[in-house]
Amino acid sequence: MTTVTHEAGAPSGAAPPSGPAAPAIVTRGLTKRFRGGQVAVDTLDLSVPRGSVFGFLGPNGSGKTTTIRMLLGLVAPTSGEHALLGLPLAAALPRVGALVEGPAFYPYLSGEANLRRFDAADPTAPAATVRRRVGEALDRVGLTAAAGKRYRNYSLGMRQRLAIAAALLGPRELLVLDEPTNGLDPQGTREVRALVKEIAADGTTVFVSSHLLAEVEQMCTHAAVMRAGKLVAQGTIASLSGGQPVRVRIETPDAAAAVRVLAALGLAGVHIGAVEGGTEVTAELGGHAPERINAALVGADVPVRGLAVVRPSLEDVFVGLTGEGFDVDG
Amino acid sequence: MSTAETEIRRAPEPATIVEAGPSAEGRPAAAPAPVARARWTFWRLLGSELGLTFRRPRNLVMLGVLAAVPVLLGVTLRLMTADDEGGVGGIIAAAAGNSLMLTFASLSFLVTLLMPVAVSVVAGDAVAGEAGAGTLRYLLAAPAGRTRLLAVKYLNAVVYGFAVTAVVALAALVTGLALFPVGPVTLLSGTTVPVAEGLLRILVSVGYVGAGMAALAAVALAFSTFTEVSIGAIAASVVLVVVSQVLRAVPQLDGLAGYLLPTWWNDFDGVLRSPVDTAALGEGLLVFGAYALLFGSVAWARFTGKDITS
Amino acid sequence: MRRGTFVRWGVPVAAAAVIAAAVGAGPVIAAVGGPPALPERSAQQLLADALAAAEKSPPPMSGTVQQTASLGLPALPAAGAGSPVALLSGSHEVKVWYGANGKFRIAMPTQLNETNLIVNEGQAWYWDSAANTATKLHWQGGARRSPAPSAPAATHADLTPQAAAEKVLEQAGEHTAIRVINTAEVAGRPVYQLVLAPKDDGSLVQEVRLALDGETYVPLQVQVYAKGAAEPAFQVGFTQVTFTPPAEENFTFTPPAGAKVEERSLGADGEAGKETRPGDADRAARGLKVVGDGWTRVAVVKASAADLTGGTPSDGERQGERQGEWRGHGGDEADGRAVVADLLKKATPVSGPWGSGRLISTKLVTALLTDDGRLLVGAVTPEEITEAAGVR
Repeated sequence: MTTVTHEAGAPSGAAPPSGPAAPAIVTRGLTKRFRGGQVAVDTLDLSVPRGSVFGFLGPNGSGKTTTIRMLLGLVAPTSGEHALLGLPLAAALPRVGALVEGPAFYPYLSGEANLRRFDAADPTAPAATVRRRVGEALDRVGLTAAAGKRYRNYSLGMRQRLAIAAALLGPRELLVLDEPTNGLDPQGTREVRALVKEIAADGTTVFVSSHLLAEVEQMCTHAAVMRAGKLVAQGTIASLSGGQPVRVRIETPDAAAAVRVLAALGLAGVHIGAVEGGTEVTAELGGHAPERINAALVGADVPVRGLAVVRPSLEDVFVGLTGEGFDVDG
Repeated sequence: MSTAETEIRRAPEPATIVEAGPSAEGRPAAAPAPVARARWTFWRLLGSELGLTFRRPRNLVMLGVLAAVPVLLGVTLRLMTADDEGGVGGIIAAAAGNSLMLTFASLSFLVTLLMPVAVSVVAGDAVAGEAGAGTLRYLLAAPAGRTRLLAVKYLNAVVYGFAVTAVVALAALVTGLALFPVGPVTLLSGTTVPVAEGLLRILVSVGYVGAGMAALAAVALAFSTFTEVSIGAIAASVVLVVVSQVLRAVPQLDGLAGYLLPTWWNDFDGVLRSPVDTAALGEGLLVFGAYALLFGSVAWARFTGKDITS
Repeated sequence: MRRGTFVRWGVPVAAAAVIAAAVGAGPVIAAVGGPPALPERSAQQLLADALAAAEKSPPPMSGTVQQTASLGLPALPAAGAGSPVALLSGSHEVKVWYGANGKFRIAMPTQLNETNLIVNEGQAWYWDSAANTATKLHWQGGARRSPAPSAPAATHADLTPQAAAEKVLEQAGEHTAIRVINTAEVAGRPVYQLVLAPKDDGSLVQEVRLALDGETYVPLQVQVYAKGAAEPAFQVGFTQVTFTPPAEENFTFTPPAGAKVEERSLGADGEAGKETRPGDADRAARGLKVVGDGWTRVAVVKASAADLTGGTPSDGERQGERQGEWRGHGGDEADGRAVVADLLKKATPVSGPWGSGRLISTKLVTALLTDDGRLLVGAVTPEEITEAAGVR
């Protein structure tokens, strides 16, 4: 059973709320065991709030794609339940745009003909407006000029953008993007991120899976971390990195003087470390303004070579949670 | 994924609640006349499928080759019979004597292998090809609906099967009219019918052979749901046809022949008898129906429960 | 989900069950519907009724006759579909239309071909679509004579239940145990089955069943069961039959334009008689002897392997002569020779006080070709035939 909403006999208290109040994505005990016994997804309880940009983070092979396939009804769960937009799957899918494991189109058709093809598959898409909607979707991803070109002649970046255009064919309440920047050059990556932000600004919930930590950190308001099929953490980006406060870092040859000033200002967690050509002093920023700390240091004749505010990185948290390093180059 | 199917029917209930809700902005209401709507969108998807099939160069080449064979057959026959009786008999001689008979000769020649191959290619590719290319996951996420998509795929293959039959018949008819005398048609039973009735009988045999191809399409479609490699499904279907034809030719296995699909394809010659052998034609159509039902339901059971991992 | 899997696959399983039921519907319905209620008859009553009915001309009817043979012969080389040799294995179908006044039409449909024999008031046409030939047949002698066995369609005529039934009736007598079954059905019609079982153990025949229509006494089926076999070794009968007068068009034939038209005269002293069977006189001179009686009769003909296969390379002169003789025939005789040569290769060498030879045994027929130039054929066990070989 793929949805919980109208399962007879399901205790109503246990069922996730349906309708507009419901979260964009809810899963309960979602499990997929493939033939051969390999457990791809293990009792996943996910909740994606409406209007969020949700990062679904995990190393390759951690079960992200299988989860997305279950959400879209492509793969049947072994057990557990899920719902999109609080609706039965068939009713929800027309309001969901999806990019799953890279673009896939008919190579002998033009970009435009490809979009028309997938629009025809959606029973709720009005045929009368297909020309306009396809035009708008192509325009949105900047493919208008290549609309009549055969897909086989598209570059990798164009293919990825066409796939996103296909996900934007109708008014969507939820976008599911599986590794949307995979295989793109830095320019393409930037374009996709900008597009996601733009879409999210319209109020659409965006669910992005990625194995790139930096990508999630830059785009998302919320995140969940998968490891070997299990969910190890989920929440807002801030709450996930909650254990690590923002710090101020001062580079100075006179560490002792700096420590005195910071202590006088009442900063906690003062720490001295060595850096090339001198020492650095760090402390929790707390409610203090960095410019005042600088003024106080200068006033106390502490030679300041550099001052920076260090925001906490998710990396340390996630490496700790997943037990393995992330590819942070993205 | 039986749920995806049942939920289509259940959908209006919760969906209408949402439509009435505050956040249902901009979405064209799915509520008005949902049945008529569903029917219309089904034909829209079928239209898209047919457009894909009949614009795909490979499928057009196959139709072209099938159209060329009767032309070649006719020209060869014309050249052969030009220098008097070459000792040929039967349907070949009949084809040289009457323009309409070339159609029956061509159908009987092509229905043994070439037409089944063309139908197997389209039907065997139907699901496996989309799965292999990855487009299947986007169709299903659209959501096309599994039963709905399978029905569209099957109807598409059936239309192609009839197109193949019609193309062979038309090419043969045009070639026959150009090269051989037009006149009353001599049936296999030795009786003669006027040209108009001959044309009617051609139409009936096209319908019968088309139905036979539709039965094969169900078999190939069932194979297609078991693999992501379309060439595998196509090969399986063609091998089945070839093996059936071989088994049919072994006299010791006479009892088996009635259960093999290709045995019945040639029975369109029932229209060339006097009186028309309606019993044989009817029995053939029942066999085609049984094949379509059995393999269609296998395809459905497999496809609606399949995990799409490509 | 997994529970759904079973439900889903139940659909094709149900479809398969429905189809299997439809395929097996005939036998199943016959079994479920109980024995058709025909009043009981003794063999004598039935025979009398049947013979009385046979004296009148049978009612107009049409239908499909199927002939099946599984004699247990070794694999035969491929023979033409229309060749009589083909009738020795597999199953064959002919369509029969019978009108009043002895009019009838027999059609043998094969793939994209058809042969027809149409007989109407002393006139007969034989049509072969493969050869595009219409043959008009005349015969001398009795007006009601059926087309002579030498007609090209002789093999078809032999297939009608009427002809086959007559042969069986002739053999009934002191050597046969006869009983009647009144619960059988042929082509959907209730029939009486006259069961003839040989009393002699030496026969290979278990029993012969002759099915007579319960209403018209028209023979609808003949089955010959070999000893120890559940399925008939030979069967000819209607698979579909209706007793309504067939359309008149079936009995009129006009040779189509463009067809070759031939005429042929048939009769005891007709020219064609010689033409078709140039070897007849030769064969008659060899003499045919019958040993034994009843079901264990064995026919003895003078023949050698060389005669049967058309000679061996060593007697080239003789072969040349024979070849010339056979050139006049169609493919049938050549087929026959090929079959015989093939069978002889697979024959078992046997010997006894009577001499030695080669034995061919099938489910129903045993043949012995002795090295001293005799061919013995009978529906008997090998022991019986070697015994017959001892009779000079």
